[in-house]
Amino acid sequence: MNIALSFVFNIFYVPWFVIISLVLAFFVTLAISFSYISGGHRHALRVFRFGIAWYARTLIKFFYPYVRVRCEYSEKSDATEPYIFVSNHRSFVDSYLLAYLPYEGVLIVNTWPFRIPVLGYYAKLAGYLNINKMAPDVFFEKARRLLEENVSLVFFPEGTRSIGRAMGKFHGTAFRLALQSKMPLVPLCVTGTEKILPKGSLLIRPGKLTIRRLRAIPWEEYKDLTAFALKNRIRRIIGEELERMENPA
Amino acid sequence: MTKQEIIEKVNKVFEESFEIEKDRLLPEANIFLDLGLDSLDIVDLMVALQKSFEVNLRNEESIRNIRTLEDIYKFILEFQERKKGQSNP
Repeated sequence: MNIALSFVFNIFYVPWFVIISLVLAFFVTLAISFSYISGGHRHALRVFRFGIAWYARTLIKFFYPYVRVRCEYSEKSDATEPYIFVSNHRSFVDSYLLAYLPYEGVLIVNTWPFRIPVLGYYAKLAGYLNINKMAPDVFFEKARRLLEENVSLVFFPEGTRSIGRAMGKFHGTAFRLALQSKMPLVPLCVTGTEKILPKGSLLIRPGKLTIRRLRAIPWEEYKDLTAFALKNRIRRIIGEELERMENPA
Repeated sequence: MTKQEIIEKVNKVFEESFEIEKDRLLPEANIFLDLGLDSLDIVDLMVALQKSFEVNLRNEESIRNIRTLEDIYKFILEFQERKKGQSNP
């Protein structure tokens, strides 16, 4: 499909995107209100986070077959245990795609997602952590508390979206937190999002997205590494898997 | 301990604790810009150096000025000479 057709699709889609977002936001808000009354603050937050994931999945489904999603899991996961997920990051769409993880999760983001109208406000309410606005001690304390509450954390350790397929250098925070909290680390590989909504573009293009969840790495396997060595090992694992996904033998 | 022994020991710390390849460990290599460490990695580096040299570097203010591998070699060398001077007045 060429750019002109994508443009036509976007003109059709964008008003629907806004309408559906508002309708879903209304239902999510309603669900949170009932949850707060029936189960209190913690229960409401849990419902809210799953509500955001439901909203993201519904929106992605609305794109079908213009945009198709494939989820691949290398092992059966234990949804009762929190994880620290680390994913490559190529597009804004990645954050929507992570809604396919069956966990109560919080994204670790930098400042700009909080500035998105409506979505930024909801992200703040859901307790997403702005890593750029917090001192390391404060961030680690808040992150540890979330893990203790059985909330998984999702990091994009590159810190920003990469341009094209090349993966940027990893920052160490996710890995330092994993070492401190003794939680399992789960590498995620996301492909295709860079074609659908590349960095710097507002035009949604057709394509196939794949999210591959790799084996959870328990703390016992990485406890003797420094955060620096661990981040580079995980970066290598994700890089090799992306290579296999995009250039299968 | 000679400077050469210090160089070998420090480089071993970078190879084993940080998994940085030997050929990148040049004296002029900036530990932040060339080797990719961040400010929090410095804490891990100090822990690894303390373990390797069996010394306590916790109260050493001059650690803040370290930028290159050569700075680390000099820092350890000076630290060692200072300690030797203190124990043999």
